[in-house]
Amino acid sequence: MSIEVRLHGTLAATRPGLRAGDPFPVELSGDATVADLVAALTLAPEDAHLVIVNGRILHDRAAVLAEGDRVGLFPPTGGG
Amino acid sequence: MERILRVNMTDRTASFEPVPETYRNRAGRWMTSSLVHDEVSPTCHPLGPNNKVIFSPGIVTGTASPTSSRISVGGKSPLTGGIKESNSGTGLGRRLARLGIRALVIEGQPKEKGFWLLKIDAKGAAIEPADAWAGKRLSEVYPALFARFGGKGKVDVCSIGIAGELRMAAAGVCFNDQEGRPSRYAGRGGLGAVLGSKGLKAIVVDDSGAKEVPLADKPTFEQGRKKLADALGEHAITKPKGALNSYGTAVLVNILNEAGGLPTRNFHEGRFEGAAKIAGEAIFAGNKERTGAEVYNHACSPGCVIRCSNTWHRPDGSEHTSCIEYESDWAFGANCGIDNLDQIAELNLLCNDFGLDTIEIGGTLAVAAEGGVWRFGDGVRAIELLHEIGKGTPLGRILGNGAVVTGRTFGVCRVPHVKGQNMPAYEPRAIKGIGMTYAVSPMGADHTAGYTIAPEILGVSGKLDPLNPDKAELARNFQYATAFVDSTGHCLFIAFAILDIASGFEGTVEECNGVLGTAWTMADVARIGKEILDLERDFNRDAGFTAQDDRLPEFMRSEPLPPHNTVWDIADVELDRVFGA
Ligand code: SF4
Repeated sequence: MSIEVRLHGTLAATRPGLRAGDPFPVELSGDATVADLVAALTLAPEDAHLVIVNGRILHDRAAVLAEGDRVGLFPPTGGG
Repeated sequence: MERILRVNMTDRTASFEPVPETYRNRAGRWMTSSLVHDEVSPTCHPLGPNNKVIFSPGIVTGTASPTSSRISVGGKSPLTGGIKESNSGTGLGRRLARLGIRALVIEGQPKEKGFWLLKIDAKGAAIEPADAWAGKRLSEVYPALFARFGGKGKVDVCSIGIAGELRMAAAGVCFNDQEGRPSRYAGRGGLGAVLGSKGLKAIVVDDSGAKEVPLADKPTFEQGRKKLADALGEHAITKPKGALNSYGTAVLVNILNEAGGLPTRNFHEGRFEGAAKIAGEAIFAGNKERTGAEVYNHACSPGCVIRCSNTWHRPDGSEHTSCIEYESDWAFGANCGIDNLDQIAELNLLCNDFGLDTIEIGGTLAVAAEGGVWRFGDGVRAIELLHEIGKGTPLGRILGNGAVVTGRTFGVCRVPHVKGQNMPAYEPRAIKGIGMTYAVSPMGADHTAGYTIAPEILGVSGKLDPLNPDKAELARNFQYATAFVDSTGHCLFIAFAILDIASGFEGTVEECNGVLGTAWTMADVARIGKEILDLERDFNRDAGFTAQDDRLPEFMRSEPLPPHNTVWDIADVELDRVFGA
């Protein structure tokens, strides 16, 4: 299945030429989880501190993804 | 000896008095809200002679404690008609603390027209005419004042801009950052207009010859300071080259956009298609491209180890403005439909120059666009409208009085405000806890009153679902804890570290004990926070506010917000439960 991924903050810098927040597709097997996606992106599990799937914040890394999901990954971040 | 400095603008006299016993441990917001509660008539006209503006550095301000150079400014707000506390990072509070001045009270009102400047130093306080500085941009005024009074290493400056001189309700109180830029604001609630109504253009503080801030119990202070410094150095958000230091607060743009809570085009949508172009990461990348180097952020005030304050550079690499905070970036960006950072930077710069609150002005422009004054996304026209405010034209004076006045003028019923103050950059329909905080805060819609975004979005101090409505307790506890932090003199951003690292919070309390000689524990944090909120809510009640003022605007109950297509569905009784009224 194809997942629409956006990387943010320092995570975007792991892919040369990628602007934070610009979407790109990632192909995964049908039953892939959030943790599988993080691994496929060669990110350490703790780097993806915040995972937002279709606008919902997901804390469960074992959650199964679905075709066409919009996934945003963020390192630990704060502001105000 | 700790003193209160009282400046009477009716006859331009100044006098010192000892801090009364009941105020012995009060500083920062605790002090300003206490003095407003005790000395200002809740029914007075905010721009009349009976209002006061109070300044107070925090409990540990002026010591070696990290990230503690905040000053609290209080008074009755011309924007909301209720009590106002707004605070800013600045070296000025540090200098006041070293001079032993726990509170500065500006009262009275001159009968004659004109502006004056207050100079405070170790010899005392002096007031001199300042008409020469009026009507000018703050980027002209600040360098001139530094040149006149001995340079930015020697003095710090507080001033109002043209907006405050013209008594506009969106006028903030400006402080300089460490480079002397007029860029740090106690922005919200129009306290700049109150200073303008008193003819006080500027305050200059020189602490030459002052002694160190006395410590009642040095070992306890040192122990607390170290615990807090360790927590700030360790936490991923506050550590050097961590999130705040690299990308500034504007790193939140992409997060709120993904979460569907980034208010867009006057709160019509929760996502902005141009978010990635204006986010903190885009600021970092743009600066790198334009200056040829990675630009990390700086400390807005002395002793800050978090260092979140950014700059934006022009195509030729020269500096355009500082600081494009998340709130300002959003206010002129997503909320006005503008996706061009150079235009956002110019709007930010003009607010800094004219002495305006960026949140209120961005919200006002959005309401004006809804009213047909201009078209969302037309950054060139937005800049022209800002100049109208700076020139004080009739249109400019309408805009400078904020979103509610502008909505009324142009027949707009969708004005996202509470108690007359425009909402900041988090959508209540998508994030329920912050919506409850906006509703019940005595300050009007204010994200810094209780930053529930930490657990609701950022996964700091817990992991809560933003759409879950059961947030009354959260909204209460965060407001109490925040009122305490606002009294210590620390920047609220220490919260990211101390909410996650318990020893950091303990350290914050121990530092206060070290300065004051108290024996506070963590239980006292909530007790003091409650006391402050009670004073503020008391003032508002006596000013005529009722439970009906603790509500969000009507349109949010009926208009679903994309992408979640949720409405504001928190029952009024739930809001009344926050403070148990
Ligand atoms: S964390 Fe940012 S806003 Fe707070 S004092 Fe430091 S530089 Fe200023």
